[in-house]
Amino acid sequence: MARSGSAKPSASRAPPSPTPPVAVITKPNTKAPKRKEDYTSDGVEDNDVFLLPGSDFQVLIAVTILAAIVRLYRIYQPTSVVFDEVHFGGFASKYIKGKFFMDVHPPLAKLLITLFGWLAGFDGNFDFKEIGKDYLEPGVPYVAMRLFPALCGIFLAPTMFLTLKATGCRTFTATLGAGLIIFENGLLTQARLILLDSPLMIATAFTALAFTSFTNQHELGPTKAFQPSWWFWLVMTGLGLGMTVSIKWVGLFTIAWVGSLTLVQLWVLLGDYKNVTIRILAKHFMARLFCLIVIPLTFYMAMFGIHFLCLTNPGEGDGFMSSEFQSTLNSKGMQDVPADVLMGSRVTIRHVNTQGGYLHSHPLMYPTGSKQQQITLYPHKDENNIWLLENQTQPLDIHGEPINGTTAWFNLPEPPYITNGAVLRLYHQPTHRRLHSHDVRPPITEADWQNEVSAYGYEGFDGDANDFFRVEIIKKKSKSGVAQERLRTIDTKFRLVHIMTGCVLFSHKVKLPDWASEQQEVTCAKGGTLPNSLWYIESNEHPQLGEDAEKVNYANPGFFGKFWELQKVMWKTNAGLTESHAWDSRPPSWPILRRGINFWGKQHRQIYLMGNPLVWWSATAAVLVYVLFKGLAVLRWQRSCNDYANTTFKRFDYEIGTSVLGWALHYFPFYLMQRQLFLHHYFPALYFAIIAFCQFYDFITARISVIGLKDKPIINKLGATGFLVLSMVVFVLFAPLAYGGAWTKTECNRVKLFSTWDWDCNTFLDSVSSTPPESIPPRNLPERI
Amino acid sequence: MAATTATPQGSVRQRNVAGSSKKTKDGVSSDVEVDKVANSKVVKSVPAAAAGSERDYKIVMFFVTALAFLTRFWGISHPNEVVFDEVHFGKFASYYLEKTYFFDVHPPFGKLLFAFMGWLVGYDGHFHFENIGDSYIANKVPYVAFRSLPAILGALTVSVVYLIMWESGYSLPACLIAASLVLLDNAHIGQTRLILLDATLVFAMACSLLCYIKFYKLRHEPFSRKWWKWLVLTGFALSCDISTKYVGLFAFITIGSAVVIDLWDLLDIKRPGGALSLPDFGKHFAARAFGLIILPFIFYLFWFQVHFAILTRSGPGDDFMTPEFQETLSDNVMLANAITIDYYDTITLRHKETKTYLHSHPDRYPLRYDDGRVSSQGQQVTGYPYNDTNNYWQVLPADDDPKLGRHVRNHELVRLRHLVTDTILLSHDVASPYYPTNQEFTTATITDAKGDRAADTLFEIRIDSGKPNQEFKSISGHFKLIHNPSKVAMWTHTTPLPDWAHKQQEINGNKQLAPASNVWFVEDIPSLLEDDPRRAKVERKVKTLPFLRKWFELQRSMFWHNNQLTSSHPYASYPYQWPFLLRGVSFWTQNDTRQQIYFLGNPIGWWIASSVLAIYAGIILADQFSLRRGVDALDHRSRSRLYNSTGFFFLAWATHYFPFYVMGRQLFLHHYLPAHLASALVTGALVEFVFSADSVEHEAAYQAIKAGKKPVAAKRHLTARERFAGQSMLGSWVAALVIFTLTFAGWYFFLPLTYGYPGLTIEQVLRRKWLGYDLHFAK
Repeated sequence: MARSGSAKPSASRAPPSPTPPVAVITKPNTKAPKRKEDYTSDGVEDNDVFLLPGSDFQVLIAVTILAAIVRLYRIYQPTSVVFDEVHFGGFASKYIKGKFFMDVHPPLAKLLITLFGWLAGFDGNFDFKEIGKDYLEPGVPYVAMRLFPALCGIFLAPTMFLTLKATGCRTFTATLGAGLIIFENGLLTQARLILLDSPLMIATAFTALAFTSFTNQHELGPTKAFQPSWWFWLVMTGLGLGMTVSIKWVGLFTIAWVGSLTLVQLWVLLGDYKNVTIRILAKHFMARLFCLIVIPLTFYMAMFGIHFLCLTNPGEGDGFMSSEFQSTLNSKGMQDVPADVLMGSRVTIRHVNTQGGYLHSHPLMYPTGSKQQQITLYPHKDENNIWLLENQTQPLDIHGEPINGTTAWFNLPEPPYITNGAVLRLYHQPTHRRLHSHDVRPPITEADWQNEVSAYGYEGFDGDANDFFRVEIIKKKSKSGVAQERLRTIDTKFRLVHIMTGCVLFSHKVKLPDWASEQQEVTCAKGGTLPNSLWYIESNEHPQLGEDAEKVNYANPGFFGKFWELQKVMWKTNAGLTESHAWDSRPPSWPILRRGINFWGKQHRQIYLMGNPLVWWSATAAVLVYVLFKGLAVLRWQRSCNDYANTTFKRFDYEIGTSVLGWALHYFPFYLMQRQLFLHHYFPALYFAIIAFCQFYDFITARISVIGLKDKPIINKLGATGFLVLSMVVFVLFAPLAYGGAWTKTECNRVKLFSTWDWDCNTFLDSVSSTPPESIPPRNLPERI
Repeated sequence: MAATTATPQGSVRQRNVAGSSKKTKDGVSSDVEVDKVANSKVVKSVPAAAAGSERDYKIVMFFVTALAFLTRFWGISHPNEVVFDEVHFGKFASYYLEKTYFFDVHPPFGKLLFAFMGWLVGYDGHFHFENIGDSYIANKVPYVAFRSLPAILGALTVSVVYLIMWESGYSLPACLIAASLVLLDNAHIGQTRLILLDATLVFAMACSLLCYIKFYKLRHEPFSRKWWKWLVLTGFALSCDISTKYVGLFAFITIGSAVVIDLWDLLDIKRPGGALSLPDFGKHFAARAFGLIILPFIFYLFWFQVHFAILTRSGPGDDFMTPEFQETLSDNVMLANAITIDYYDTITLRHKETKTYLHSHPDRYPLRYDDGRVSSQGQQVTGYPYNDTNNYWQVLPADDDPKLGRHVRNHELVRLRHLVTDTILLSHDVASPYYPTNQEFTTATITDAKGDRAADTLFEIRIDSGKPNQEFKSISGHFKLIHNPSKVAMWTHTTPLPDWAHKQQEINGNKQLAPASNVWFVEDIPSLLEDDPRRAKVERKVKTLPFLRKWFELQRSMFWHNNQLTSSHPYASYPYQWPFLLRGVSFWTQNDTRQQIYFLGNPIGWWIASSVLAIYAGIILADQFSLRRGVDALDHRSRSRLYNSTGFFFLAWATHYFPFYVMGRQLFLHHYLPAHLASALVTGALVEFVFSADSVEHEAAYQAIKAGKKPVAAKRHLTARERFAGQSMLGSWVAALVIFTLTFAGWYFFLPLTYGYPGLTIEQVLRRKWLGYDLHFAK
């Protein structure tokens, strides 16, 4: 600094410090007259949207009304279930019925859809089971439910307007931005159906608005810090983040955007050690920590709190959750059971790792292998799940004679506890057979290290050596205390080692075929993983354990336990969605709008998710141009070309850079995802790209003085209007695909510029002679998650 | 610095101030002026000492190298049976020696070295290393020769680590610490005593670092002969690295990042040596691009050329290649059996990927599927895995010319007649049972096929990478069957159809023509009798293909198969476990003697190295924060070394470690070895930073330069001895000895698991289960 200070003596402008663009906003003012000695960025005006003139609010209202007209036009069509309404409509009825379900998305948007349906009188008796199912006859208030995404879609336009105003754009530019949102076919299509993308978009947009406003306040320097407006926008950013991430997990990308820019702001503050003392710095830090982490997290957890409050009954999602979790659902809860397991106990044995259920047998034989009686896992409570635990040898009575029969252990003087290492036989009372294993390959998993497990014997049969299993208590997984020493209900997790072959009773997520009612396979594995060979006892009954015996039950996981478990299951399910799908696409194809998604097709009508190519490509071009500009600017900076001395240049770099960063953070992470991806995953990135495009337009037509357009505001107005009209025309050309309206083959083929745009023109008629839509099952039934 | 922190931005950009530390990564202090000043003072005063100082380095290096050979070679003949992945790499060496073609996902260099070793000792490759535990003695395999190759490279790796520290100008204790962390590391030893590729990989990686440092030290004499020499050698080392395993790419990232930073500084108009003109800069850029990208790529291709030149005979790898490729291999079965197909022949068609036959039977598609869609109700066309007369199809010409003996050629239009039901194959614009996007395949009666469905029954034979007019042959002719009017390819997948189609495979028309899953071949011509003259085998000449085509095909196949390696392995681990050494890999066990080889690092060494990495990151962060607040706690030279030299090592660690987090395939502990080596370098460097500080004189000299004095002196690098002249090195030495002793203890304690000798009692095994290592014989 000493060096750079002396390098240019007598300059009226202080030398630009060779700072990389990150620090652009940190630069003390370069103009000598109003040099500031704090972290205020130069060239920034107060763009707080509360200070906008009344005329802007008139424009805002006009934009909103236009958006409403475009979004709500014939929203009642189609009158049957479309595409993923299957899922999200279905979730609404499950919420109303309180049936527990599992979905990979957090609950906020689904709760709101439910709220709209419930207010309109939906009783949850419609199951949204398949695409094309009629809404009208059962009287489903589907229009009300679609209204929620539509409202979100409508508000997206004014939010864009305000965001652009908050970055300092002209009113016409802001109107242009809002118009591009209104006439974006893809956003429109998503906003007219019961889908999550429209709520996600408005939440992302709201966060962008709040954070842009906050950044503006922050850049105005210490005088604005901790003022009401500053606080307001910071809190709103936090709330916005909370909402976004409570709708879909892609909200994490929004968090990354806000987070990285916040780090830059804090770095700037750190550097201003003249004005920002450590105390003030800590205050800044704590304020952001509270608003940007604590608020979103609390909000997110609160949503799950409501989720759990709504879903109190068992449902389809049970199978994903642990037994502890399930026991918190109504009617899944269990009476307390005796804690000690004795010889002669009648028990049900449950598999730990999979939710396959209870060790089960039924009087059906394996069609393969030994052809003995099947052993499976069965998820429901049933008489056939009950096993009687017998010792390896019969007990002796007082005369030293063995007591025969399976009831021999019922009245022994001392309770025969089952300790670690005890050798058992498991007697299946309904069929009088014992759990058995031998060197025969199991029916499905025919690996060398897997043995078949069967039920073998008859009533009165003493059993053979292949019925012996040794109990091996896994201390690490069992509750500490007695449960690690001897078998206890629920608390003890154990393995059953087959004595003769040394293999271990094992189960995994493999379904047996029809002949075993698709129940889960049970084998005896020699090298099975530990989690898949763990079992525990869920119910326990013994004559010696009366009412006063020590009882246990599942530990209640509590809210945090349930919350955390559900997060893990959602993550796993989400990562598991890797199957390819007819309409999926990879990230490289999104910015060029290579193909869309076929949502719905009835005879001669089609809904196909397709962007407005003009908007789409302009936005991509804006990003590209910025990247080129940035590359050049960085090179020139290294060659000391002094560009950053120019305030407008600096603001151009920083402001558009912020938007492009938003685009990049909502786009590139998808490259790392192996799961199936769709075009609609690009929408948040598109939103940021449109912002960048409008900022570009504003800088060129109204802010950069070199070009000369700055002095002619008419150019800005004309250009904006012209581009808006043009995009409206393109919108109209593609509109029938978005609204599912009538179209002709010729018109369709005329706008089908590329063969990769794979909607099917042959479905349309040659002319729009009004054929009434018939209820013929749709041909394309893609399922999307 | 205190005087210079007048404005906030100055301290912010501390590293950008001219002459400051921004001058890139390398082992040596980068500041020209300071070197000059220091030299002008020191060189004059202690020339004799400087010369003599190198002798102790040499002595220590000699001992370290000797120890390295000792630790690597001790008991190398044990165990005398096939261990772990020797199954693969030993086998490949045998294939090279027998010249039979094989396929593997790794590039050839490392395997070629083994084959070379085998060739040197005159081994003929008769043993194929089929199972772990096969005896080498009984099969007469020169396995010690094979194993000595990685052992030599592993031992030399230690010397290279030492040299890196030496070249970078670190003090003797620092060199010793870094070298001993690798020398006494059980993982490095264990991995380099067996027939595995990692010894080559790690050695090449270390060499690339060393060469680049040498190259960088010559930056004041650009384009000199030596400068070029080290540049080319860096490229060569990098090339060997990536030609052994593809993880060698990470070394390119390391060196590449350093080069980018270097170029970036060359571009700086305020660089100490004076601004470079853009053409000069272009020369620098081009030289590096040539030496570090183009040359390595040529070397890389060269190993493939060697690979192809050796493997001339047909072998187990044939099936992975296209028929054209297989034609270049001698005694290939597939080509011997290929027969030219004529019109009116009856053929069976088989899908290459799922091995299913094209099949049809009189059953029809159900009118309505479960999801409510409707079908054409035509006759079912399915995929069926077993031989059956329902798989017979007769090839009819499109023009119905009844002439016999006419060959079917590429791109010709044909009809396929299903013999048993006497119907013609057809596809049309009806959605298939499972894929709404794909076309249904069915058959039409002869009358329909001659009548209004005529166009829909035409199919084009499109031979994969075939020439126009090429004859269509059975077995070798891989082709796609393209429906002529709609341009969809016949395709199938493994999800079985429901009961109405007897669980057979769905056949449908795929709009995507490119995927390899569309490929079919003709397996047999049942209409030809066994003794038909067309079945007579003629002696075939081995063909040749241009090298680049062969290479490209092999490369594509390798990447494809590499991506398929996602199955789980009982000893696979996750990257986050590696720095903490949470688990190892069981290589080999012997029940009678209770011996086992368990691949595991030296926990003490690894934990020291990993904690030093954390300390380094902490120091950098603290320095950045305090600079930002205008507090300067470090002298100029220490910071320069901390950021540039140690930073380069840290960069090497990071680039060899973090990319694994985004890799989807199964990973093992040995993937961390290159990163561990880099962490050993950081450890040595940081111990020096902590225990010795630069003298005040240098700082004074530096401030003088900043004040504008022009120094005069020759360009020469300071040795560590010169830098620490007159300073007590006691602290460093104590630290070095403590670390050496601790590491030695750890090495000695885990030695039985690394060398597989001696066997351990239960109690001894249990004592070594530090972090729940899943050792054998614990019971």
